[in-house]
Amino acid sequence: MIDKRLAADVLDAALSTGGDFAEIFLEDRRNQSLVLESNRLESVNSGRLHGAGIRVYYGLSAVYTYTNSTDREGLLKCAKEAAMAVKAEKSGIVTAKPFVDTVVNNIHPIYMYPSKTDTRKKADLLRCANAAARKAGEEISQVICSYNDSEQDVLICNSEGLFVSDTRVYSRMSCQAVAGSGTENQTAHEAPGAMKGFEHYLNTIDADVVGRKVGQAAIKMLHAPFCPSGVMPVVIGNGFGGVIFHEACGHSLEATSVALGMSEFCGKLGQQIASSCVTAIDDGTMPNEWGSENIDDEGTPTTRLVLIENGILKNYMIDRLNGKRMGMAPTGSARRQSYAFAPTSRMRNTFIAPGVDDEAEMISTMGDGLYAAKMGGGSVNPATGEFNFAVNEGYLVKDGKIVHPVRGASLIGKGGDILMQIDRVGQTMTMAQGVCGSLSGSVPTNVGEPWIRIKSITVGGRS
Amino acid sequence: MKDFLNRLLSTAAENGIEASEAYYVEKESFSLMRCQGDGEYKSNQTRGLGFRGLMNGRMGYASTEAFDDEAIQQLVKGVKESAELCENDDVQILYKGGDQLPEIQLYQPQLDQVSAETKLEAAAKLEEMSSGMDERIVNGYYGVETGKVTVRIMNSYGMDRSYTENVCAIFSQPNAKDGECVSSGGYQQLERDFSKLDVEKVAKEAVKRAVDGLHAQPVPSGVYRIVLDPEAMTSLLGVFATVFSGETEQKGLSLLSGKMGQTVAADCVTLVDDPLMPQCFDSRPFDAEGVPSRRNVLLEKGVFQGFLHNLKTAKKAGVESTGNASKAGFAGAVRVSPSNLYFEKGSISLEQLLKNVGDGIVINDVSGLHAGANPVSGDFSLLAKGYTLKDGKRDKPVERITVAGNFYELLKNIRCFADDLTFPGGSIGSATVDVGEMTVSGS
Repeated sequence: MIDKRLAADVLDAALSTGGDFAEIFLEDRRNQSLVLESNRLESVNSGRLHGAGIRVYYGLSAVYTYTNSTDREGLLKCAKEAAMAVKAEKSGIVTAKPFVDTVVNNIHPIYMYPSKTDTRKKADLLRCANAAARKAGEEISQVICSYNDSEQDVLICNSEGLFVSDTRVYSRMSCQAVAGSGTENQTAHEAPGAMKGFEHYLNTIDADVVGRKVGQAAIKMLHAPFCPSGVMPVVIGNGFGGVIFHEACGHSLEATSVALGMSEFCGKLGQQIASSCVTAIDDGTMPNEWGSENIDDEGTPTTRLVLIENGILKNYMIDRLNGKRMGMAPTGSARRQSYAFAPTSRMRNTFIAPGVDDEAEMISTMGDGLYAAKMGGGSVNPATGEFNFAVNEGYLVKDGKIVHPVRGASLIGKGGDILMQIDRVGQTMTMAQGVCGSLSGSVPTNVGEPWIRIKSITVGGRS
Repeated sequence: MKDFLNRLLSTAAENGIEASEAYYVEKESFSLMRCQGDGEYKSNQTRGLGFRGLMNGRMGYASTEAFDDEAIQQLVKGVKESAELCENDDVQILYKGGDQLPEIQLYQPQLDQVSAETKLEAAAKLEEMSSGMDERIVNGYYGVETGKVTVRIMNSYGMDRSYTENVCAIFSQPNAKDGECVSSGGYQQLERDFSKLDVEKVAKEAVKRAVDGLHAQPVPSGVYRIVLDPEAMTSLLGVFATVFSGETEQKGLSLLSGKMGQTVAADCVTLVDDPLMPQCFDSRPFDAEGVPSRRNVLLEKGVFQGFLHNLKTAKKAGVESTGNASKAGFAGAVRVSPSNLYFEKGSISLEQLLKNVGDGIVINDVSGLHAGANPVSGDFSLLAKGYTLKDGKRDKPVERITVAGNFYELLKNIRCFADDLTFPGGSIGSATVDVGEMTVSGS
């Protein structure tokens, strides 16, 4: 994408006013998106994202500049602008060390690159999901399916001699069904994806099954009464249920909040922060998973990180700058949406590890409460630990038996409290795909868990 | 750039694209965020181009951030493939222009002259003031941002329109701590004139919010009389605004379908979309298709006046475009969105409204909107904060509760707006509003 000589000149320009460290992140990304709605292919849109971001540190302050002009003139201008903002107090100028080529060991093989796959095949996939969803019943009033894929080429080099490039391929389909009665609408939604090309939809994902599930769930919710409100025991299903850990705890273990003293889990390494049945892992190394990488967006190899082991806090997720603040090594967790964002520590594939408990027993011994089969997204304020997330498909449990479905509600609480309230962890862990938004933009992340039970949590229903 | 755009339009014509349009955006932005005395400084200049074209009545789309010769080929090829595959039979239109644009002043040259030093000083002062205002403030984020954007639409019918806008903002997000209890506050101010930014006011308001929230507790679950402050009400309106879009309606996703001329909200509710207010930040002389901007009333005393439209949805509905074509960035397809959308204010003061309510809960912050509010069903269940109201007076801070309801029902249940209309995020406005009773889940 750029040669080493230019890269070295740009880094030196960025360091010319006394910065300690400089980095170039160059990106060229080709995207395609298709939308099918009202039974017809509504849009096909292809695009090219192209630009470079330059980062300079001085002490614990950072400068980030970015541009679309990636020729010599554009990059040098961008670097000089960054240098101008550096207010270093020390004297003496650092220059970039000679580059050492790093070759990425690719553990995510791709078999059908998006750019080499006929767009018609992608359209047919959506037609299949659409037809299956509509077959669920006459109450399905609309189905919206989309398919997005991208090939992202990155080159990352820095003043410490790193020079590395990689290609990341992502693809994801989504299917949303609306069931309507004329006066009311209810929706259901699934969106499977992977760090793979189109092969994912030939070998792993059956669009017919995705569509059917979504159609049936929307109709079920149209006939469901409101969820009750109050404090009660809740069993959360596997897969996207893992969003509870993502919101209630994951964000608060990112150095983004920890390094600045803005997390309820600051200073708690080695302490018990969760019930002893909870082990949680953030793993960027799982082959072809949605949240995986070979190297992070600072060029550090990605890792598998045990966050919590039997309830004890073991690790934070750390990027380079916050690592400096904390005096700890980066964990390959630095991520960013694109060149237009400075990287920071983020989750990858984050899940609660399988436990020993039986799913049927969890329900039969819970008394009255809620079984949250499908979760929606959520959010958290790491400084206070207050989180919320949505239940998209719930079931009322009475006297240890599932009685009937109930409409969406939200679950709220404080992360530290809820982790201590988990009293059952099931045996079958599955993961689901999400897009996580934070300081460095939106990045693909997996959430996952086996079935878990929370002894007591606030359910925000309407009855 | 004009040369690139002209080459693009002519290459498209040579390749059988009957009519085409380039939507070009140039952006410059600057931000400085301070936290514990360290700074994060960002600046950038970027440009992007969305290209669309008509072939056999179908509209194709492509976009780029690279402006080399390869880009022209890629755009033309992308538009052709897209138009060939699309199955949308709606009549597609590119605007011919030629009409008069409204006058609106969105660009202040003196803002571009404000030095980085001045901005850095403002951020440092904001951090210093906020930290020093109350000993319980332990940390926080404090920032200054400025931005400038130029939008240009140029098409093969000869339309060539552009405007430039610039804006500046300061924000403060302090955290207060007392014992084990932590509370966050936040406040921001957006302006076009840097000298109007009031560091002291922003610092004070954000610190007040953080400190006021300390030791908040949930209330017992039940049904309460609820007052939404402008922040909470505009958060909700932001999510549910899509139900007023003609595009949403034509997809069968708005429950306002077929309700034109009917009463769908309480008679104190008048909802207006106005892109021509320079003091707001979704203003523009023309929309994403080049159609001149105009003010539209959506709800007049509770009666639904009609949907917002772009050229395509208007044609399908048999009406005129309301000038509400929008694009998510330069790359997206043309959709329909409101601009500055607000509820008209009422005639009583905030104090009087609270007095009339007597006992209840005032909600001043809701979160979890992207998952806890569903614009298709109208249902919402949201994490909320605020304080209890006793005899019309502030009583105790409240947190970790949810308020749940349905947006369509909420519109009907509104009892009264106060006269304190504000636009907290810059483009969506409301006064404090008494929304009657709602289900609250707490302890």
